[in-house]
Amino acid sequence: MSIIIHNISKKFGAFTALNNINLNIPTGHLVALLGPSGCGKTTLLRIIAGLETADTGKVEFEGDDYFSPVVYGKRIGFVFQHYALFRHMNVFENVAFGLRVKPRKSRLSKAEIKDRVFSLLRLVQMEHLSDHYPGQLSGGQRQRVALARVLAIEPKVLLLDEPFGALDARVRQELRRWLKKLHDEIHVTSIFVTHDQEEAMEVADQVVVMNEGKIEQVGTPEEVYHKPASGFVYNFLGNVNLFHGRIEHGQIHIGEISMEWPENELVINEDSHEQLKTATVFLRPHLLEIDKSPNYKSSFRAKIKHINAAGSQVKIELVASWGDSIVAEISHERFKELQLKKNMEVYVSFDKQNLFITPGLLT
Amino acid sequence: MTDNELIKLPVDYLPVHVQASVRETGLVKWLLIIISTLFLGFFLFIPLITVFAEAFRKGIAEYFNAFSDPAAIAAIRLTLITALIAIPANLIFGLAASWSIARFNFPGKNILITLIDLPFAISPVISGFIFVLFFGLQGWLGPWLAENDIKIIFAIPGIVLATIFVTFPFVARELIPLMQEQGNEEEQAAMLLGASGWKTFWKVTLPNVKWALLYGVILCNARAMGEFGAVSVVSGHIRGKTNTIPLHVEILYNEYNFVAAFAVASLLAFLALLTLAVKSIIEWKYKHP
Repeated sequence: MSIIIHNISKKFGAFTALNNINLNIPTGHLVALLGPSGCGKTTLLRIIAGLETADTGKVEFEGDDYFSPVVYGKRIGFVFQHYALFRHMNVFENVAFGLRVKPRKSRLSKAEIKDRVFSLLRLVQMEHLSDHYPGQLSGGQRQRVALARVLAIEPKVLLLDEPFGALDARVRQELRRWLKKLHDEIHVTSIFVTHDQEEAMEVADQVVVMNEGKIEQVGTPEEVYHKPASGFVYNFLGNVNLFHGRIEHGQIHIGEISMEWPENELVINEDSHEQLKTATVFLRPHLLEIDKSPNYKSSFRAKIKHINAAGSQVKIELVASWGDSIVAEISHERFKELQLKKNMEVYVSFDKQNLFITPGLLT
Repeated sequence: MTDNELIKLPVDYLPVHVQASVRETGLVKWLLIIISTLFLGFFLFIPLITVFAEAFRKGIAEYFNAFSDPAAIAAIRLTLITALIAIPANLIFGLAASWSIARFNFPGKNILITLIDLPFAISPVISGFIFVLFFGLQGWLGPWLAENDIKIIFAIPGIVLATIFVTFPFVARELIPLMQEQGNEEEQAAMLLGASGWKTFWKVTLPNVKWALLYGVILCNARAMGEFGAVSVVSGHIRGKTNTIPLHVEILYNEYNFVAAFAVASLLAFLALLTLAVKSIIEWKYKHP
């Protein structure tokens, strides 16, 4: 079932949670709503589920107009952030709930319900804990029960609110892969909310990046990562170094570096002279190179403040000659080759085409 | 000192004298235990024992004799009737009030929460008096009631109303904090899984609050049966007609009929002990589902 979102706006008092959202989610996709906390992603998910009403706009399911707080009977599977398992029911009863509350006419027989519940419990690998209560389960186990419980009603749409938010790093990794696999098997239109860009990139086939109640960009993980539509997206989708630059006569100045930069490459608001002169420059840490002497590329002097060699890459914190803090990531081989030490003076360089520049100041 | 050195200080480092001062000494511990035990003994156990001792002073026959008095039987009957009406009324009110307070935001919500506590804050005598002012012969509705031959004050309806008034906080106060803490996600989950509002209430809401609800009902019952002040004002003390157990005890006592007074009083004391026992069981059940 596809979901079409038309002009959804929502305010909580003076706070604008969602500002004119339009979004089209095709059947069978696994979509991530990604953004910082307070960007409106959970509100949007709750509006799609019918748990919240929008001030304006509407949500359509496969052309079927649907704009009502009454969600009863819509077959929308919603997995809550904290799972909302029924605490007084055991695992089996939790999963069976959706089957047992059906009207008598369409309800399965007791034996059929039992079969179905156990096949779902096998799917989520919780068969052996069917008589346990939610209080006796770990976070990851609860998450899987919550999933089995919504899958029981054969949802047309699966909505997950921060599905891995409350889990520890290892379990989270495991469940991510599992969710992706599950989606490949059952192909139900799914939307999940996350503030973790890595999670969105790894699990989703479409990423919707949101900020301050608006959609910044919609695209595949590759698109949003490699062709970010805005400085916010670039900034949010990975570690970045952020510099403030000035633009003058076709040149951009960042600290002590100056580069040619055709002004027409920047979409600049002509009305604002302030914006005409300032730009925010982003650069990912792994795109920086470190040398002991200046090279042919754009380079500047910096002093090493801190070295963290624990990880797949060596993280080096530096202070540029004009005072900005910078993080660079280099390989262990390169690190050994250069024999870098704390407080060492080095040259940092980058390829000009790797810069991402937006007009105006962004902090 | 550089920043780095500051960071290196162990987080759990505390000077020895600071660590010692956050622990109570054995003396303080035992002093507190002795004070509370003595206090309870003086104010609870001695009076309780006195009630039973006085009741049985002239033997078991005399004790049971107190209950064969038609006035005593009428008082017990009236008390049971009052409780049977007051408890369901407060059960429904308590559920409705705590549901609305825990689940919805509406203007005046805080006023409603405060008002629920009102019977705890004002003297029961005043509570009774409010009903006299309202329904009494000289009260606002008095003349109209008299014309239509409806008796509320100095009759059973007045007693029931006064009892409901003084006992309505019990159920609501037990449920509100619990329902607020539990939130409404489980109900939302139930609705999204296809349950109707009615089924959600019976299968999710009610089971989640059942122990707190029962606990509130037990306390409500104890107070409903034991209420003296408010009921005393509206009852009129008509022997065999508008006396509840506590009022009957007072009359017997004023007549120097001590054995009968304490015998009937022991019924209330027994009810109190039973309430405590049931309350403990419920609390235990609540913690070990």
